[in-house]
Amino acid sequence: MVGHIVVDPSKCTGCRYCELWCSYTHEKVFSPSLSRIRVIKDDLIGMDYPIVCKHCSNAPCIQVCPTGALYRDKNGLVKLLKEKCTKCGACIEACSYGALFRNPVDLTPLICDLCGGKPVCVSKCPTNALSIYPLMEVHLGKSEHLGKQYTVAVEDYKSILERWGILVKSE
Amino acid sequence: MLSQSRLYGYAGRILRVNLTNREIKIERLDEKFARMYIGGRGFNIARLYYEVPPGVSPLSPENKLMFATGPVAGTGFPLGARLNVSAKSPQTGILGDSNVGGHFAAEMKYAGFDQVIIEGASSTPVYIYIDDGNVEVREADELWGMPISRAYDALRKEIGDPRVQIAIIGPAAENMVKFSGIFFNRTRPAARTGLGTVMASKKLKAIAVRGEGYVEVAKPSLFEKLVEEVELEVYTHEQYWPRRIMGTSRILLAANKIGILPGNHFTEPIVPYAFDVSGEKLALKYNVKNRACFSCIVPCSRVFVVKNKNEAFMSEGPEYEALAGMTVRIGNSDLDRALKAIELVNDLGLDAITTSEVISWAMELYSKELLSTEETHGLKLEWGNMDAVLELIVDIAYRRRFGGILADGVVEAAEKLGKGIEYGFHVKKLEMIQADPRGLKGYGLGFAVSTRGADHLRSEPFVELSDDPELGLKMFGEPEATLRLGVRGKGKLVAYYENICALVDSLGVCKNLAENMNILDYSKTAKLIEAVTGFEVTPVEVRMIGERVVNLERAYDIREGVRRVHDTLPERFIKEPLKKGPSAGHVIELDEMLMEYYEVRGWNKQTGIPTREKLLELGLLDVVEDFVSRGILPACE
Repeated sequence: MVGHIVVDPSKCTGCRYCELWCSYTHEKVFSPSLSRIRVIKDDLIGMDYPIVCKHCSNAPCIQVCPTGALYRDKNGLVKLLKEKCTKCGACIEACSYGALFRNPVDLTPLICDLCGGKPVCVSKCPTNALSIYPLMEVHLGKSEHLGKQYTVAVEDYKSILERWGILVKSE
Repeated sequence: MLSQSRLYGYAGRILRVNLTNREIKIERLDEKFARMYIGGRGFNIARLYYEVPPGVSPLSPENKLMFATGPVAGTGFPLGARLNVSAKSPQTGILGDSNVGGHFAAEMKYAGFDQVIIEGASSTPVYIYIDDGNVEVREADELWGMPISRAYDALRKEIGDPRVQIAIIGPAAENMVKFSGIFFNRTRPAARTGLGTVMASKKLKAIAVRGEGYVEVAKPSLFEKLVEEVELEVYTHEQYWPRRIMGTSRILLAANKIGILPGNHFTEPIVPYAFDVSGEKLALKYNVKNRACFSCIVPCSRVFVVKNKNEAFMSEGPEYEALAGMTVRIGNSDLDRALKAIELVNDLGLDAITTSEVISWAMELYSKELLSTEETHGLKLEWGNMDAVLELIVDIAYRRRFGGILADGVVEAAEKLGKGIEYGFHVKKLEMIQADPRGLKGYGLGFAVSTRGADHLRSEPFVELSDDPELGLKMFGEPEATLRLGVRGKGKLVAYYENICALVDSLGVCKNLAENMNILDYSKTAKLIEAVTGFEVTPVEVRMIGERVVNLERAYDIREGVRRVHDTLPERFIKEPLKKGPSAGHVIELDEMLMEYYEVRGWNKQTGIPTREKLLELGLLDVVEDFVSRGILPACE
């Protein structure tokens, strides 16, 4: 079963413990700039919003990679073959979640690898804002013919579904 | 990955920016210096002592404003990302020093600096942008005059990066109000001792920092093990959930229970409306989520929303000091309006503690009919009159009308009015915090001897609130040491926790971990220092680092004229017994505690000056020589 990290921004405190231990686990140093998960914050509205790869089943990053450096492994995860990567950055541009980050040291993309199945960010998160879920996607058709109220409701409801680990893909 | 010359745990560099000639210098961090002072508060006093000697006027270009953090900041150690800010204080004329959380300290390390020193003064408003070792002084004409939240928003947009961390001053500092703080992003201030005013005197509106570097620890497996131990201790600690739910706002109701509130300017130690303005009430009705400082697993900050028929607003906090300051100290039982007042204090860039003292002081004079409405320019300063308070806060920040009288602190306000000094509650010109020392005697001793004036965060002897004589016996050989109304053993208690405070402020660790939760003792700290920096230190050497920092700060104050006679408390606390509540009948027995304190410290009991032996024991030979050359110590003993 493919897994991915699901975030609950209402529980996230913005401590960035996930960023620290992600970079330490992968790179042996503490550096948010080497982390595969990033908390986007706004101190004027109290926002703390972790962004991390969702391993989408129809991944635009893989589609745009010109050299095949990005691929889907046998477990269904998006993976990078560093030696094939030309550091063009097309994948970073293509990700609609902004969940790929440029490594400031070697300029390749940083992508969540779920730490081999036991993600350190999930185990270290002090408030349970991060969890690992099996990938589950629901596909919604165009909602126009169900009326304006339905459209309003479903647009907002998507974010709730995402917190339950259910990705909503619009056709 | 680490370059040969860089010390583990440190960024390894010091930044100096001279705003007079806009010269930027980068110095290498010296290992011997790092071993002696560890970082943060230690680094700052070690440079301030030599670089800002007596005679320097605090608001002149010769004063230096220093920001430093320690080896732990930027690592994944929990509660470990504090920043220390220091300069000579315009408020007190002695050491100015304040410690702050947030994300700035770590970002500064990732940008490549353990310490940033601001020298000189610009002639026009500027801000400094530190971007991964590239340092620029930029014009800030358009930012000058803006309140904190607007300036923060404008600056992060100008820089174009939501991850930038910003130290910023508000209109109060620009108007030279002597108790202005430096605010980090928005609601996290280094508020005490007027450091924002020093920053404003240099025409420096802000420092913005962004870094993509890293911090590497010396002994990863030891470090990981320590972190796991501390995580478990924190998560299973009895204070964990109360802190997570209420932060320090939980203290208000607890302080009411033991009768140590500063109600109506320290005349009402218990108030009937405590619950209505408590952390519990905030948690029940206002808070919507928690927030944390960088790398912190105890998210004690709370986002709240005020919703009443007149207005709705959101912000973060408040901490106990501001909460009690804008409620019980000024006799206000309306929580919504208190939150509004705190928001205003923060946005204008004032120190909430001193602001609450000057206002409650004026209210006491007003209630005693020692102050007339002519003198207050029409303000009716009755207890809890929040219309007047809100107006007065703005007037203080802009030095208008009666606000102008209060804008230099309570001592100068009394001088200007020619009255009321006996009701001005300060030590060494720093206004007192929100706890009545008559019911909390270790804290009281701490206020009297603190190296920055009346403040709890230099010693924070929180364990005396345990009222557990066994603990006192175990830790200090004196059961009374950990009884809040006890007297014997308080010298030992305060000296011990002063050393711990200085140590953790130097490491970059939060006092909630080391003091309040009492988790970091000397042997654990020795392991932490070894894991992070690779320095192999004994618990005794660790104690001496904290003791060295306290003694050097004391020496700084001594050189500015501080003596035994200044280690005191306002008369009300020494002479007038508390009239009601569970601490009724108590005054503070300061002299007895002081004598024990000097004995423990190894300081002269008549003068309060550190002895030659103590200074030499701590490796402070330079200070001995400096003292001899100034006639503070005799040439030989």
